Amino acid sequence: MTGSPALTQQTRFATWYGHRGLAIGLLPIVAIALFVLLSIVEPKFLRAGNLINVLRNASFLMLVATGQMLVLIIGGFDLAVGAVVAFASVAAALSMAALLIVMPDSPLLVIALGGAAGIVAGAAVGLMNGLVTALMKVNPFMVTLGTLSIASGLALYLTQGVPIYGMPELFTRDFAKWHFLNLPAIIYFTAFVLIVMWWLMNWTRYGRYVYAIGSNPHAARVSGVPVNLIVISTYTACGAFAALAGVLLTARVGSGEATLGGNMMMESIAAAVIGGVSLRGGVGRVEMVALGSLFLALVNNGLNLMRIDSKLQAIVVGVVLILAVGIDRLQSRRARR
Amino acid sequence: MTNLVSANGIQNGGSKQAALRFLANYGFLPIILVVLCIAFGLMEPRFLTFDNALNIIEQSSYLIVLGLAQMFVLLVRGFDLSLGVVVSAIGVATAMLIVAIAPGGEGSVALSLLVGFCAAIAMGVLAGVINGTLVAYLDINPFVVTLGTQGVAFGIATTISGGFPVMDLPPALTGLLGQNGSLFGPVPPPVAICLAAMLISSLVLNRTVFGRSLYIIGSSPKAAEVGGLPWRRFTMLSYVACSILVAIGAILMMARTGTGEPSTGAGLVLLSIAAAVAGGVSLRGGEGRVSHVVLGGLLVSVLSIGMNLTRIDGFLQQVVLGVVIVAAVFLDRLRQRIRI
Repeated sequence: MTGSPALTQQTRFATWYGHRGLAIGLLPIVAIALFVLLSIVEPKFLRAGNLINVLRNASFLMLVATGQMLVLIIGGFDLAVGAVVAFASVAAALSMAALLIVMPDSPLLVIALGGAAGIVAGAAVGLMNGLVTALMKVNPFMVTLGTLSIASGLALYLTQGVPIYGMPELFTRDFAKWHFLNLPAIIYFTAFVLIVMWWLMNWTRYGRYVYAIGSNPHAARVSGVPVNLIVISTYTACGAFAALAGVLLTARVGSGEATLGGNMMMESIAAAVIGGVSLRGGVGRVEMVALGSLFLALVNNGLNLMRIDSKLQAIVVGVVLILAVGIDRLQSRRARR
Repeated sequence: MTNLVSANGIQNGGSKQAALRFLANYGFLPIILVVLCIAFGLMEPRFLTFDNALNIIEQSSYLIVLGLAQMFVLLVRGFDLSLGVVVSAIGVATAMLIVAIAPGGEGSVALSLLVGFCAAIAMGVLAGVINGTLVAYLDINPFVVTLGTQGVAFGIATTISGGFPVMDLPPALTGLLGQNGSLFGPVPPPVAICLAAMLISSLVLNRTVFGRSLYIIGSSPKAAEVGGLPWRRFTMLSYVACSILVAIGAILMMARTGTGEPSTGAGLVLLSIAAAVAGGVSLRGGEGRVSHVVLGGLLVSVLSIGMNLTRIDGFLQQVVLGVVIVAAVFLDRLRQRIRI
């Protein structure tokens, strides 16, 4: 009998590790190790300009990856996010350029309407993904592969492959360069979205529904969760987040381009999976996905600073993605035992 | 009297069932193909000429080879997103090897081509083993595995070539295996090789234990496991079969342009999936025949050649391709309901 307290303690630790440890995993340790390594190896890394740069790149990815996470949690998948970034950029740039000619005196209104047009365009692609997957019960990979082709084809067709200029200077110059406490606007946008999403996923009925659908769609339906509605909403939100990233990227680049967001599809999935989102649905946390995005941005920045060819970075992201899923797979096997 | 009625009823039911079975097997595709050909013919008379028919057959033979590759993995509920980029990577690497042995067609051309083709197939096997091992033995989602290997293959293709097409291939390559190559006499080489690939795939799928097992693994992985099939090995081998066909496709594409192209492959994934799935290979595994891919490949090339002849913008064609894929998935679903 004397052994039992120790035993309980051990089991308690095992349960704690099972619930928290696996969810948190190795990522924070690896991220911190990478940070330390980069600051030792590359003195340029710790300069304020570079750190802000990392944060900025991570912010774009966080927006897209948070949407991807939502879709992954309900057991879906969105291959179209990269194309949506481009499509939204083109839609926003075209409408801003057109509106500016009509009302050259109110650039603020032009920016608001143009930005809204971009986000609506992206959300529309997401809505289409959601409607087809939820109502027709077809494979989300195929649907989003189809809409990927549609969205990027439309973006290329509308621009004919040429960047679109003629947006208000307030948008491409003042807004893009605007910063508060040395941090650019995109970081505040992303922080706002992340906080709202964190609140939504952890403290509202909506979040609980999303997790419930991902863990067991049938049980969720039987318990009265409006499954189709929620599935459609996650795809739409995913499209809208990708579109927001696209509009903000447009401001940064200074033109609407049909080639933006090329790596976003793979990187957003990688960031989500590295952050512990399960591909089998039901598992995923906003803050961990944000950390996953930051980690990927650190990796890319490190490769850039060490002057490693940008083409080789695709290899690194690919390997990291497979490693992350492999580790996730091994962990879930161990957890089941 | 009753006999007559019942016999009649059976006959009616029989023809209706036969029609339904045809629909369930091939979907609406043959009908759509005919309608498309008539529509394009009305819009552009040149579409219905002998030359254009030959052109369609040639174009679709590239697609059918890649569609067959995709079918091998679709059968076991797999997927290959890396296919297009692997075509580029193998094409570039093979081209560089051939150029290294016989630059610009000087030196031992025959040897360089032989070494190049063997290397291409070997690279295909390697890519298949990597994808297949990760999917079959580590149980990782095939979409994610091939998304990852796609990144890796893209990096390799663009890095080793520096991002530029590999030039200076021996002219004999295009002369033998290009669209008007002379290797098989009057038959265009892509068509001949495609026919061979169709024949071999069909034999493998219908007449070997491996092939039949793929259908069982795809329709019920549990049954395959309980029944004692070495399903992990067979699943892995289906990725190898896929990548060998991809390597053959890469050789054909290289011979067609006479260069090793690092970037044109990326769009091929979508086309290969469209050819397989629009043809009626099921995404839920266990279903798909060579004839399906042939129909699907024809559909995609009829669409793209028809749109080219009627001068539809190239970027809009991409939109149409996306719509076709979504529609194909939808019809796949409908077909499944007819069967039930």
